[in-house]
Amino acid sequence: MKLSIHSVWIMSQITIRQSVRDKTVFLLSFLFLILVLVSAYLGWSATNTVNAIYLKTAVFLAANGLPVPSNPVLESSPLVLLRNMNTYVSLIGALAAIVLGYQMVAGDRKAGVLPLIGSRPIQTGQFALAKIVAVSFVLGAVLLIASLINTLTFLLLPAFHLSAIEWQHLIAFYLASGLYMLFFGLLGMLFSALAKNESIALLVPVTLWLTLTFIFPQLTSSINPMASLNPLSATAAAPTSAFFHYSTLILHPISMVEVYRTVSAQLLGFQPSTSSTHSLLEGFLQLGGGVLLLMGASIWSITRMDMSKGDYSE
Amino acid sequence: MNSAGKNVWIIAKKEIHEAFHNRFLLIVTLFMLLASAVALVTAAIALNTDVATYNDAKAVLLSLGKSADMIVQPEFYPLRLLRGFIEHIEILGAVLGVLMGYQAAATERTHKTLPLLLSRPISKRAILFGKTLGATVILMSGLALIFVAIGLLVDVTSSVKLTVSDSFRMGIIYLAAVVYSLLFFLIGFLLALHTKKLPNALLLGFAVWLMLVLIAPQIGDTLDPDNQVAGGVFKQLHIAKPQEVEILKSFATYETVRTSIEALSPTKHFERLSFAVLGIKDMYNGMALSPVLKEKTVDMYWLAGLLAGLLILLMKMNLNFTLLNKE
Repeated sequence: MKLSIHSVWIMSQITIRQSVRDKTVFLLSFLFLILVLVSAYLGWSATNTVNAIYLKTAVFLAANGLPVPSNPVLESSPLVLLRNMNTYVSLIGALAAIVLGYQMVAGDRKAGVLPLIGSRPIQTGQFALAKIVAVSFVLGAVLLIASLINTLTFLLLPAFHLSAIEWQHLIAFYLASGLYMLFFGLLGMLFSALAKNESIALLVPVTLWLTLTFIFPQLTSSINPMASLNPLSATAAAPTSAFFHYSTLILHPISMVEVYRTVSAQLLGFQPSTSSTHSLLEGFLQLGGGVLLLMGASIWSITRMDMSKGDYSE
Repeated sequence: MNSAGKNVWIIAKKEIHEAFHNRFLLIVTLFMLLASAVALVTAAIALNTDVATYNDAKAVLLSLGKSADMIVQPEFYPLRLLRGFIEHIEILGAVLGVLMGYQAAATERTHKTLPLLLSRPISKRAILFGKTLGATVILMSGLALIFVAIGLLVDVTSSVKLTVSDSFRMGIIYLAAVVYSLLFFLIGFLLALHTKKLPNALLLGFAVWLMLVLIAPQIGDTLDPDNQVAGGVFKQLHIAKPQEVEILKSFATYETVRTSIEALSPTKHFERLSFAVLGIKDMYNGMALSPVLKEKTVDMYWLAGLLAGLLILLMKMNLNFTLLNKE
């Protein structure tokens, strides 16, 4: 049987519609978008405060005949304003993506529609592809709204003028965020198809997310869990020791949260000079590779689902 | 024990029995233990790296005939290794609490047993109190296991035995951790009892967890002007502490808003108390326990007040019987 793009698109449309109607997905996506707004406000407010502190300090230093250092605000890119986006995408963005991916497959399993789909002349591969198209579409739409909020922020704040290269960096940041969220969406999808138990289907990807977010940074860079929430300290360099050298060597290729944080810190211009030296291209390749790997795994897990039964055991 | 007390204990025993057969809770508890162990071991390795760097630098200085006083010797306090562990309690202890609270109501709702239970000569308060008591015992047991394992691991990784005073300080934080996790149990329990659709309760619980545990402290932390510039804004501007305090006086409103956002989060109160009692924060290191506790009374009141408030809310809110029959 040939791959029917039309069938795939119809199934994707249905899944997208179901996801948009799902209150949980809506709530998490809404929370994410609220945090995008909060991030812009926090960035603006904190940057203004640092600027005001600098001006006061400059007066004090000049009055005491001391040299006045340059303003740290002017030394950084205006994109630094969005540094909290790095934390919100890696926290709530990833969690929303897991729930979305999980719901797209689990919803069908719980509703008992799998035997119906199995009885129709539809290849399970097409069904799997439709789910992947749907998760990519919904995540893309959420990120598009987020990027519009950020674009408006920069247009409304003329003091933070972006150059052409900075606009390109902003687009690349959203591309990296899209790959990162898709990675977690596919993770949710993979386990919702693979698990026999509904609770385990959600618990495993959430546990993996917690491991990647809070445990891996400790092993590779000795970054404490709450420090992972601060965009600046989350990109700190690892202590110079054999243990951290080898743990980074082993874990970095799969440490998606760290890869994303490094890529976004480079793109938004707030990466400390002492931090990781991994290149942007390397980061994008890792994110893309992770997504491709999980796409394959998701297609495999969805196609091997028992279409005569489908529902979870508990 | 009177009949009401007996009923409460029967419900609590049933909760404890169910928890020991719950794979979900077992996985989260073991995960918390593993995460805490990783935090402790990596902290010990990082400290050993600092000590080795210091020793190398000292040897170089001595070989050049210079004084080793030129470099600062790394100080070693075993309880400071617990920073990552405390932060895992903040994050995962709260997850455990939310999951337990959800499970406590979800089992009754999915099996439709709560209305049946309430048709028996047992009060609504006895059921809710029994479930809360059961959760308290489960949390106390799980956290005791984790705290003892971590205490032993500190001995092994640091080759320094914990003193009686250190163990007592850990005991205080253990109790604070139980109260802290219990707060999130009550949040999860209240949501699962009163939300129309049960799966939404769990996700709402996670949304509350995100806001209280991760987002509110994160906002407070990132609004701190000193966290805006790598290395700290005042350090970069070469400003001494007295001048820093003087300059920050002009930003009093900003600081009030920032600290108020942090104060909304029980996580921040638990962290402030723990970091002070365990001497993780420099200014409390080597300080006697009673002045530390006196200074952190506000944080203890916050945690106790929130717990009391949630308990009152749990007892006062009416249960909707039609809702309890629905998954």
